[in-house]
Amino acid sequence: MCRWSPNAARVAVCRRSPNAAPVAVCRRSPNAADVAMCFLAEELRKLSWSGIPKPVRPMTWKLLSGYLPANVDRRPATLQRKQKEYFAFIEHYYDSRNDDVHQDTYRQIHIDIPRMSPEALILQPKVTEIFERILFIWAIRHPASGYVQGINDLVTPFFVVFMCEHIEEEDVDAADVSRVPADVLRNVEADTYWCMSKLLDGIQDNYTFAQPGIQMKVKMLEELVSRIDEQVHRHLDQHEVRYLQFAFRWMNNLLMREVPLHCTVRLWDTYQSEPDGFSHFHLYVCAAFLVRWRKEILEERDFQELLLFLQNLPTAHWGNEDISLLLAEAYRLKFAFADAPNHYKK
Amino acid sequence: MEAIWLYQFRLIVIGDSTVGKSCLIRRFTEGRFAQVSDPTVGVDFFSRLVEIEPGKRIKLQIWDTAGQERFRSITRAYYRNSVGGLLLFDITNRRSFQNVHEWLEETKVHVQPYQIVFVLVGHKCDLDTQRQVTRHEAEKLAAAYGMKYIETSARDAINVEKAFTDLTRDIYELVKRGDITIQEGWEGVKSGFVPNVVHSSEEVVKSERRCLC
Repeated sequence: MCRWSPNAARVAVCRRSPNAAPVAVCRRSPNAADVAMCFLAEELRKLSWSGIPKPVRPMTWKLLSGYLPANVDRRPATLQRKQKEYFAFIEHYYDSRNDDVHQDTYRQIHIDIPRMSPEALILQPKVTEIFERILFIWAIRHPASGYVQGINDLVTPFFVVFMCEHIEEEDVDAADVSRVPADVLRNVEADTYWCMSKLLDGIQDNYTFAQPGIQMKVKMLEELVSRIDEQVHRHLDQHEVRYLQFAFRWMNNLLMREVPLHCTVRLWDTYQSEPDGFSHFHLYVCAAFLVRWRKEILEERDFQELLLFLQNLPTAHWGNEDISLLLAEAYRLKFAFADAPNHYKK
Repeated sequence: MEAIWLYQFRLIVIGDSTVGKSCLIRRFTEGRFAQVSDPTVGVDFFSRLVEIEPGKRIKLQIWDTAGQERFRSITRAYYRNSVGGLLLFDITNRRSFQNVHEWLEETKVHVQPYQIVFVLVGHKCDLDTQRQVTRHEAEKLAAAYGMKYIETSARDAINVEKAFTDLTRDIYELVKRGDITIQEGWEGVKSGFVPNVVHSSEEVVKSERRCLC
């Protein structure tokens, strides 16, 4: 039985059974090691799906995103190389932020960061600067989309999770970043950049011209809901509520505006354990999320009340249990549809 | 219980990113000012009743749009079903004023065959010391486009009520005169529920709405 151990993020200590030798022992020949790593990566995904313990979350996220190699021996060198590469980008590009070609991008990022959800952490000047650098570098290295509002939100979970390793406060929002050593902060910045880049690689069409990824996903959501809960679907339709009117933001900001930050972090444990978690599985989560409110939706009897409700869902007190339930339902939906695309078809 | 209202008007609020669209709407609909507010993505929905004459209430449905260019493919779908609009610029940001023309062009293309009654709003007028656009030139521009001009501040609650109510009143007059008519398949104006009152000239007209272009 595989389970989280205090040192589980090292993966190598994860055992198949109490009697099996630690997998680290397998590292005798390159082949055996590769096999072991694949096996471990799969185990790690399985474990992470149901939530990652806080102490091992930073390391696990880096592994799941593919940023950190599964092979323990290669990790320090990889990290060092990637961190160096990121700061080379800064050196190379960041001074161009006030040039004609880039000033619009930079200006938009610069004004968006301070007005993000009032997380005290993000409002600290050092953190604001980090966010600006990460977003600017990503934007100019991905000109097909550039910087689109909503991408700024996606930096936060990575940054907060990676910071947790280096602060004593239980509540990361109360942490004083200026007390964190500069080199530590630099590493956190580079790690955040690369993990966010990996995430965005999978959903870049959400942010390219005309946002085709979002348009398509909202259509798929509508199709899905019409099959799993026809009553809700018909109710929305009857009151002329269009899915794009409420679900656009669900896709553009990956539900981050709909649930508290700690819930997003828990959600991302699973997203990173699922193949195409942020694009494909997210769709099922959105469907489960909508249907979760079916009682309230069916009680509302007019366009206005419905839309106001859907844009301000009462999740302020949500905790991990709520997310776990949501994910279980999403998984059930995915399972029902994965092998049966016509399942429930009208 | 549904409040009784004479008409429902759909309004759209547009303008460059960070000119204060969401803050203005929140001040109007919720009566409060938020120091920070996440950038709007896509379109947000708000609503409020206004009394334009004693006993005559209009329900406003307000679409708050994202200012960033990338969201234009989403936001422009909302122009067509709007009867009125607030076009905002920030008086401390000259560029947002220079873009007013572009915004009008953008809506004109996508609102056909209808037209939106716009008011030009110079926002953040509490920051007068940082002003980059004079009242005179804004008024001149508004007049050139046949719009009214008003300066507002969401922070200090200056003219916020007036901006929305004046626009509502102007639309109401156009509806009363028959210049704007209710049509099926168009959400800009809807007739409300008013017991024991017959709308004479304001009755639903199913014919083609006259184009003001």
